[in-house]
Amino acid sequence: MPLKIPTAACLRPRHVSRTAVHSFIVGRSQFTTSAPNAFGLRPKRVSSSGSPVLLEASRAAALARRQLPDRTGALAYKTGMTAIYTPEGVRIPCTVLQLDRVQVTAVKDRKTHGYWAVQVGLGWRNPKNVTRPMLGHYENCGVAPKKLLREFRVKDEKGLLSPGTQIKADHFLVGQFVDVRANSKGKGFAGGMKRWGWSGQPASHGNSLTHRAMGSAGQSQGGGSRVLPGKRMAGRMGGEQHTVQNLKVLKVQPELGIVVVSGCVSGPKGCVVELQDAIKKPMPVIS
Amino acid sequence: MTAAASAPLRRPLLSLLRGSFPAAATKRTLVQLPPAPSSLPRKIGMFAQPKVFHSPRPAHTPRRRIRIHPPIAAPATKDAIGALTSLQLATLDPTGARGRLFSRHNHDAIRVGDILQVRRKNGEPPFAGVLINIRRRGVDTAFLLRGQVTRVGVEVWFKLYSPTIEAVELVQRAAKRKKRAKLYYMRKPQHDIGNVQNIVAQYTRQRAMLRGEGKKAAHAPKGGQQHHKEKK
Repeated sequence: MPLKIPTAACLRPRHVSRTAVHSFIVGRSQFTTSAPNAFGLRPKRVSSSGSPVLLEASRAAALARRQLPDRTGALAYKTGMTAIYTPEGVRIPCTVLQLDRVQVTAVKDRKTHGYWAVQVGLGWRNPKNVTRPMLGHYENCGVAPKKLLREFRVKDEKGLLSPGTQIKADHFLVGQFVDVRANSKGKGFAGGMKRWGWSGQPASHGNSLTHRAMGSAGQSQGGGSRVLPGKRMAGRMGGEQHTVQNLKVLKVQPELGIVVVSGCVSGPKGCVVELQDAIKKPMPVIS
Repeated sequence: MTAAASAPLRRPLLSLLRGSFPAAATKRTLVQLPPAPSSLPRKIGMFAQPKVFHSPRPAHTPRRRIRIHPPIAAPATKDAIGALTSLQLATLDPTGARGRLFSRHNHDAIRVGDILQVRRKNGEPPFAGVLINIRRRGVDTAFLLRGQVTRVGVEVWFKLYSPTIEAVELVQRAAKRKKRAKLYYMRKPQHDIGNVQNIVAQYTRQRAMLRGEGKKAAHAPKGGQQHHKEKK
């Protein structure tokens, strides 16, 4: 949305009279759904799923559309990879994550902040190395200074937890699916083959000195004699956030803070990962 | 001002700028300096002026003491993988016999170059070959055997603690300790040991004989260590 609307304005019903600026925005939003062009009236805001229903352009509607888990997630350290044998003798490669003193430090709500979220802290930091403003924050929520804070968005106010609540490993159920997010290992300045998976050029058949080059960056005169924006090239690779979706929880050990998930997770050993209920799988049923 | 007067006459402006400081000080000579006039401040700068506080809090009052809560109990161990491994081994290898087979602390452990036979639970025929690599990774420990199947050289990785493995039998020890941890050179034709079926058949015959005599040594092959003691 090009113009920023105050939160209170979009919460109000449409028929309430407002200032000229607000009525202009509301009036315009009715026309942004379709725009005249050479092919007649064509909708502009449509769902990516291909549904013919036009998307409503309001912050409340956008929040309702957003895929979010019901519950908060947790922070953990990636301990490393190992394997687990099922009772049938099937070996499953897995990643071991350890939750270290994970506690809720704050909540954000729709009314004040515009969305619902839970702020979660991990580990412990020496208060000597914490600034006074942050110490005040920890004092308010009643927890010891944390190594790291992260925010987990939740669907609605039912997902909020009171500050000070500890999130243990049994927050996750064996058999449920989680999305795990972490910073990937940095690879430095990488060539196109490594960064984008290109095949490169042949090793022989008269090829000389050009085996891992990126090839052409585009057409010449017919293509506008320019490199299109977003052209994949060599550059910095890794060291950015990466989410692995739908990892199955294989084992949970609350007293050791261990959550074992199937498969691999981005990042080196010892890195901090965020894990939350998978958004593309049914939510776990808490009995 | 006496000091200014003693400064060289050709640099009057510089001596003026120096003010009350004596020229001798700039020359770094051991001359007893006259005391500076007490009416002029020795230092001109922020230290000489009173501090200005922009906070609504009045100056020199102590800051509010922030309450710091004690941390909650940390997890029992930092070695999560070690804890998980011992937990799994309690069911996968309750006696610890398999672990001892490839343990670094066991002098009679299996080493690379030995010939092993692996029996499996899934009904596949036992596989025999020379041990060319041991990958020690806790519960994920594995070893690589190189043998022959229908005259074709075959290498198979076995997971030591896999429940599908029934037994790991030591068929023959290497004559001499190998000087490498990984015997990948045995893939080359001049080093390839080839078919080990004859050695395995001889071992099976010996074992059957021992078993027929009703000796306790019938249990030996599984452990491997006892087999070695017989040789001694």
